[in-house]
Amino acid sequence: MADRRELVVWVGKNILPHEAEVRAWLRRASVAAHEIDDIVQESYARLIALDDVAHILNPRAYFFQTARSILYQQARRARIVRIDTVAELDALNILDEGPNPEEAVSSFRELERFKSMIDALPEKCRRVFILRKIEGVPQREIARRLGITENTVEAHVARGLRLLLKAWAEPVPNQPVNRTKSHDARTRKRD
Amino acid sequence: MTQEPANAIDAKAIAFLARLDNAPQTEIVRAELETWLAEDPRHRGAFLRAEAAFAHLDRLAILPVELSRPAFVSRRGLLIAGAGASALAASAVGLALWLPTRNLIATPIGEIRRVPLNDGSVVAVNTNSELGVDLKDNLRQLTLDKGEVWFDVAKDGKRPFVVAAGQVRVMAVGTAFSVRRRDDGADVLVTEGVVAAWANGDVLNKVLVEAGSKVFVSDIAGPSRVTAAAHQIDRTLAWRNGQIALDGMSLGAAAAEFNRYNTRQLTIDPALADKRLVGWFHTNEPETFAKAAAATLGVALTENQDEIHLAP
Repeated sequence: MADRRELVVWVGKNILPHEAEVRAWLRRASVAAHEIDDIVQESYARLIALDDVAHILNPRAYFFQTARSILYQQARRARIVRIDTVAELDALNILDEGPNPEEAVSSFRELERFKSMIDALPEKCRRVFILRKIEGVPQREIARRLGITENTVEAHVARGLRLLLKAWAEPVPNQPVNRTKSHDARTRKRD
Repeated sequence: MTQEPANAIDAKAIAFLARLDNAPQTEIVRAELETWLAEDPRHRGAFLRAEAAFAHLDRLAILPVELSRPAFVSRRGLLIAGAGASALAASAVGLALWLPTRNLIATPIGEIRRVPLNDGSVVAVNTNSELGVDLKDNLRQLTLDKGEVWFDVAKDGKRPFVVAAGQVRVMAVGTAFSVRRRDDGADVLVTEGVVAAWANGDVLNKVLVEAGSKVFVSDIAGPSRVTAAAHQIDRTLAWRNGQIALDGMSLGAAAAEFNRYNTRQLTIDPALADKRLVGWFHTNEPETFAKAAAATLGVALTENQDEIHLAP
């Protein structure tokens, strides 16, 4: 297994930033919301099982491929297969695009996004989160400074991270995921 | 089997992480976490995700907090080609053809034509079909020699609209329905109004078929039982828009359906023929269907110019 710390950093930098896109992609292919959650979770689980991530040259494509293979596997277990899901995923053709780390992990954009996500947190949660992650203050010290219990600080950290991950999984507002009009034209119309 | 929901797992993973962030060295927390992680690979996935997010947010501390407006990153050209799909649609719509009183409408394989008749009715003629049209003063007589046609009939009480398909007869006044010719009879499916259907020479045994129902009429034995088909109509008539709707159809039947529209034939290994599928496709894209089926079912696809074959 890869060194844990290394893997965590690598996933944060190379996989997480594409999660919103993967989710949007699955949504467009009419995969149900709870199935999307399962597929994403399973994708991360598969990463842990890897001996090494060094061979993954295009993490974005890797993420998409993993999600797709999980989707197929689920489809194969189902008695009746929803086949156009697969056709639509393929029609989107996303896997053929070359690596483009600069765009996806553009530091400025990402940082800007984090900031607005943190700004949107509930007030107490936001204060705790800023102290912990931007100023690097330990939880115990935050509790002392704000005059609250360590348990409360811990709860705010957890809540903050949960809300941030949720926001992170949403499509980026100024980077429309609805990238192809032709996609709509190709897929079913039942009038 | 009920599965633990993904969001519950995520919440648990995040709670563990927040606790560890406070007390990384606590043996009890570590032990609890290890136990939880060992329970399910999905727990490990959720924890990795939470950890990665939390670690990645450290970048907030590294990068300058005050930012100038970020340079706009233009979207890359991400268009994919959607050509081809519209070719069929184009051929199916807006073909204004003013027919003389007696005419034959024939379609080759893969073509679907929508033709207005000079009584105001419209016919949509499916792939590989032949329809004779004879509009007399007292009778509108149509003859389906082969294939399938959907009729949208203009109301005219003085001129009954009668379709002959082999020995099968279908009569409508103002209504919409389709007739598909089979080897031994015809399927009649009604989308609007009411039609009467019978086998030639046996008009006493006619059945009335209302909107939302269908019936099979045998050349020899006449009509079978009328059945409700409201939920099938859209799918069964998807061909009018150049589409095939698979609704739990077997792979074998789906291949036969595509083969009506394309000279390049789909062949299916008998071992796979009973797999059931759901989906919508364009009639002229058997390749798309075959690739999707191969990928979904995890089977092998081989192809040449005339044939696409699926086998385990």
